Amino acid sequence: MLAFVAFSLRRAWQGFWRNSVMSLAATATMVLMLMLLSGLLILWTGLHSTLDYVQSEVQVVAYLNDSATSQDVTHLTSDLKAMPQVTSVAYVSKAEALRRFQQRQPGVANLVDSLPTNPLPASFEISLRDPADYIDVATYLRGQGVVESVQDIQKTVSQMIAVINIVSTVGIVVMLVVALTVLFIIVNTIRLAVVARSEEIEIMRLVGASDAFIRWPFIFEGAFVGLLGALITIGLLVLIQAPLANLLSGFFNVLPVQASAMVGQNVALIVLATGIGIGVVGSYVSVRSYLSR
Amino acid sequence: MARSHPTDSTADGLPVLSLRGVTKTYPNGKSALRDVTLSVPEGDFVFLVGPSGAGKSTLIRLLIREELATKGKVMLEGRDLARLNRRDVPQIRRRIGIVFQDFKLLPNKSVRDNVAFALEVTGTPRSRIAPAVDRVLRVVGLAAQADQRPAELSGGEQQRTAIARALVHDPRLFIADEPTGNLDPLISWEIIQLLLRINEMGVTVLMATHNAEVVTALRKRVVGLEDGRVVRDETGAAYHRED
Ligand SMILES: Nc1ncnc2c1ncn2[C@@H]1O[C@H](COP(=O)(O)OP(=O)(O)OP(=O)(O)O)[C@@H](O)[C@H]1O
Ligand SMILES: [Mg+2]
Repeated sequence: MLAFVAFSLRRAWQGFWRNSVMSLAATATMVLMLMLLSGLLILWTGLHSTLDYVQSEVQVVAYLNDSATSQDVTHLTSDLKAMPQVTSVAYVSKAEALRRFQQRQPGVANLVDSLPTNPLPASFEISLRDPADYIDVATYLRGQGVVESVQDIQKTVSQMIAVINIVSTVGIVVMLVVALTVLFIIVNTIRLAVVARSEEIEIMRLVGASDAFIRWPFIFEGAFVGLLGALITIGLLVLIQAPLANLLSGFFNVLPVQASAMVGQNVALIVLATGIGIGVVGSYVSVRSYLSR
Repeated sequence: MARSHPTDSTADGLPVLSLRGVTKTYPNGKSALRDVTLSVPEGDFVFLVGPSGAGKSTLIRLLIREELATKGKVMLEGRDLARLNRRDVPQIRRRIGIVFQDFKLLPNKSVRDNVAFALEVTGTPRSRIAPAVDRVLRVVGLAAQADQRPAELSGGEQQRTAIARALVHDPRLFIADEPTGNLDPLISWEIIQLLLRINEMGVTVLMATHNAEVVTALRKRVVGLEDGRVVRDETGAAYHRED
């Protein structure tokens, strides 16, 4: 068994270098495709964290009557906090509301000063786990006596959910199409490398080599092409990482800074797994047509 | 069935190979063999002769199970090749040494490595490979050229490399398809001498050829094919090229 693995690895290594032009062409194709894939992956991650950020910004704003007591406020705050859909609750008092207003509209500040009472209502600003929960929380709030009104952002929320769904679906479809194209091109490149060695395969069959002895060297060779392609891709990504990060943070603006290290690790893992996986599958498929006879 | 293990049967004097009513029709409708019946006992030396297109190579492809018979039975050492499991085919092929007219040598490997290749790819331990290769290279007389590549060899030497590779598994049956086709008469004669020596070592030999001179001189068993049919099967007779 060990001898068999050693044999297959040795043959894979020899096979790679013997037909080095073909092997390097396969590796180059692999690098190109993996670069494309990781570009998409990074774009996708950026898009997703932007969406996450936007989602987290969705707030339900409920205005209270002036009759609401501080007891009412405490009650409602703890009730809201107990709801599973709610991530945070902030109370904005009448005074705070006025201060914010004056800050935002310094031009009309004097006008407000001249009013006998503070016309602005107190409010709750409630952050949601998922914008889709908006209706639940709004309905609950409308049922409360102290709530005067709930800001109606229903339309905005449903539009946003629609956009998020479209972006997710399109993203997944594009990734799938790219992955399949990659697989197709790689399989064909590897097939060319296998065809170039069909004479050798024929001799192996004629002298009574079992299928495993014919297949595994090619599978290891494919895995080697995938590994090499993935390592080169990761190397290139590391090289262009700094300018790319600048570009991305400029583009997405809100990408959380500490996420990029994790994104890099994920991309590296996916590139490695995809490279080796495609190499193995490509060789397996290519060599299978020779063994079926 | 009294016999429990069909592979033991050759020891009882059963034929190494036998064809019974074998017809081979290729997918394009061409019938290369028609109702061929033939039996070769262990230790025999058989010439398979016939004009181009008679079906000689087809018969050989059936014996190594490159192709399956359309009709009839092909038996090798008592085993029906049509019933053979796909995974048992390599085992059968190791019991047959085969040499093709185009040699099928790997151009980037030395003589020694070409011969060793047959053992490597069948899982022979490395320690056993070198002695076995040296032995067959001595048998075919190529010990001195062991480190040369096929391109640095004469046609006869290439042929002997192919023969060495076919011998290295210690086959029971040795098949040569037109082994003298491209060689000049003297070299052809050397190759024939080598096959006779292999036969003397107890290996059954089947040789397809056009070479009338050789067949006439040796007075061995001759099976003649014509248009896919056996037209003669006799021992010690002369053969005149029909085409
Ligand atoms: N794979 C194939 N598909 C279709 N027809 C084939 C195939 N191989 C051989 N034939 C046909 O079968 C017939 C017998 O061919 P075969 O190669 O067995 O002849 P042969 O006796 O070996 O001839 P030669 O002496 O020229 O080598 C020929 O007519 C040939 O055209
Ligand atoms: Mg032929």
